[in-house]
Amino acid sequence: MSGAGRIRLIGVGKRHGSVVALKDVDLDIASGEFFALLGPSGSGKTTTLRILAGLESADEGRVLLDERDITDAEPGARDVAMVFQSYALYPHMSVRENIAFPLRMVSTPADEIERAVLQAAEKVHIGHLLERRPGQLSGGQQQRCALARAIVRKPRLFLLDEPLSNLDAKLRLETRVELKKLHRSLDVTTVYVTHDQEEAMTIADRLAVFMEGRIEQVGTPEEVFAQPKSLDVAAFLGSPPMNFLPAKLAGRVARAAGQSIELARDYGAEREAVLGIRPGAIRLEASGIPAQVYLVEQLGESAIVDLHVGETLVRARVDRRIRVREGETVNLAFGADDIHVFDAASRQRL
Amino acid sequence: MKRAPARAAMLGLVAGLLLLVWSFPVLWGLITSLKTERDVLAYPPVVVFSPTLANYRDVLFGATTILPNLVSSLIVAVSTTAVTMLLAIPAAYALARLDLPAKRATGFYVLATQMLPPVGLVIPYFLMLRGLGWLDTYHGMVLLYITAALPFAIWLMVSYFEEIPREMEEAALLDRAGRLRALWHVILPQARGGIAVTVVFVFLNAWNEFLFAVVLAGNRVRPVTVAMFNFISVEQTQWARLAAAAIVAMAPVIILGLLAQKHIVKGLTVGAVKGGGRR
Repeated sequence: MSGAGRIRLIGVGKRHGSVVALKDVDLDIASGEFFALLGPSGSGKTTTLRILAGLESADEGRVLLDERDITDAEPGARDVAMVFQSYALYPHMSVRENIAFPLRMVSTPADEIERAVLQAAEKVHIGHLLERRPGQLSGGQQQRCALARAIVRKPRLFLLDEPLSNLDAKLRLETRVELKKLHRSLDVTTVYVTHDQEEAMTIADRLAVFMEGRIEQVGTPEEVFAQPKSLDVAAFLGSPPMNFLPAKLAGRVARAAGQSIELARDYGAEREAVLGIRPGAIRLEASGIPAQVYLVEQLGESAIVDLHVGETLVRARVDRRIRVREGETVNLAFGADDIHVFDAASRQRL
Repeated sequence: MKRAPARAAMLGLVAGLLLLVWSFPVLWGLITSLKTERDVLAYPPVVVFSPTLANYRDVLFGATTILPNLVSSLIVAVSTTAVTMLLAIPAAYALARLDLPAKRATGFYVLATQMLPPVGLVIPYFLMLRGLGWLDTYHGMVLLYITAALPFAIWLMVSYFEEIPREMEEAALLDRAGRLRALWHVILPQARGGIAVTVVFVFLNAWNEFLFAVVLAGNRVRPVTVAMFNFISVEQTQWARLAAAAIVAMAPVIILGLLAQKHIVKGLTVGAVKGGGRR
C-alpha cells in the first residue's frame, strides 16, 4: 500500500435538472484499492466517477482525497488520471505526443518526458507505435494508448470509465487480466466503472452496487454475491440471475410454489417474503420438489435448464453430464443455506 | 460493373461542363486582360491576337496603378479577418459548449442579420460613421465589416466546435492543461478546418466589398474594388485594364484559398473517440 489515494465521499448528492442522479452517497475507498462502481445504466456510477474527477460538481456533500477536501477543486488540481470510455485521444497528436501531454502541461524537462513516455508505452506494450496517430491504431491499441497517457505520471487516483466496453469479447478478457496486473505493479488507487457484473466481480478488490442514484451495497465481490442486501442487488449480480419465489414464511418453514421448504433459521411470526435461489445452487436429484423441464440450453461445461415448478419458472445450472430432456419431470433439491430470504414489502434481506 | 466506365465518363463530362461554366468568366477576363483595347472591342471577337502585358504594366506601375489600393484592401481585409477571428473563436467555442437557453433563437438571429440587404444599411451606417467622424477611415471600414462578418463567423464555427467531443477538453483538463491551454492545444488544432474556412470567407467578403467602400470611403481609404470602378467612366470603359486589375485583385484571395486548403481536411477527428455516449 502506498499510503496515498484514500477517497471518501460524504453525503454526496447530484441533480441533472429535475432528475436526481445521486442521493446521499457515502463511500470510503482505501488507498491502493481496486474499487468497482457497478450498476445498471443511469444508476449514478458514472456521475460518481465524474464527481471524483472534478468534471461534475457535487450539489451536496463532500469529496475527500487523503483527507484533503477536493469537492470544489479543478480537475487538474486533483492529481487524478482518467481513461474515458471513448478513450478521448487527441487525434492531431502522435501516440508519443498523446502520452507526453500530461507531463508537458506541467513543464517537465524533455529528457524526463522522453523516459516516462517510453516507460509507460512499454508497460502497455505499445512501444513500437509511438509515431502513429490514434486514427491509425486498432481499438485495442487506442485503449492502451489511453492507459499509457493515464499512467505516465503517477497520479494519486486512477479513474476508469467502462474501459473495456468498446473491445471485442476476447480482447476484453485479456485486457481485464492485464488491468489487474497493471494495478498491482502501479499500486495506485483505482476506481473502475462498469455495468458488467462479471467484470466487476473478477477484477475488483471491493465494489459498490449502485441502484437509482444510491449505493445499495458495498463489499468484496464474494460478500456481495453471497449475501446480497436487497432483492435488487441479488437480481443484478449473477448470470443467469437468481430465481425468486414469492413465499409465506412461518418459523423455519416457507411455503412457495405449492411446496414446503425448510429454512436455515427461524424467521419468527408469519409474513410475506421472497425466496432467492441461485441457479448454480439447484441440484437435480432422485427426490425433492417435482418440476417439469421446459427448455435446455447447452453452454458446454454446463447447461441452463428452465423448469416449471407449478406455475413458477425456475432456472438451474447443471453439470453437462446430467442428461435431461425437455418435457421430462425431475426433482429439485437445494441446501437450506443456499436460500436467500427477502422481505416482500421492503425488498431487504431478512 | 459493366456500366462503370460509362458512368465515370458521364460524370467526367458533367463535371467538365460545370467547370467550364464556372471558370468561363475568369478565363474570359484573363484573355481580355491580355488584349489591346482595340482587340477587346473588335466585332466579331477576335480569337487569334498577339497577347500583350501592357495592361498589367499600366495597372501595376502606370498612371492608373492600383498598387496603393491593393495595400488599402489588404489593410482592411487583414484587420477585419484578424479582429473577427480573435472575437469569433472564443465566442463560437463558448456557444458550442455552454447550454444557453436561447441557443437556437440566437442562431436564427445571426442568420437573419445576413438576410438584410446591405443597401438598406448604407444610410444609417453613413450617419453613424459621420457622427463618429469615422467616414473614409480604416478603423471605420474595419468596424463596419466586423459587424457583418462576426455573426457569420461565429455561426459558421459553432458547428465545427460542436463536432469535437466534450471528452476532448475533459481529458485535457484532467491532464492539467487548464481551460485556455485545453482550447489552444486540443480544441483549436481539431477545429482548424473550420477556422480555415471561416478565415477565407471573412477575408473574401472584406476584400470584395464594394458598396460600403464606395459610399462610406473612397478617398483616403480606397480599396481595390473602388479603384477598379475608375476604369469605367462616362466616355469610355477601359475593359482590358479593368480585366487586368481584376485578375491582379484575385491573386491574394486565390493564394489564401490555396494556403487554407491543406487545413480543410475532413475526417481529422476519425479515431479520436470510439463508441457512443456515456452514462
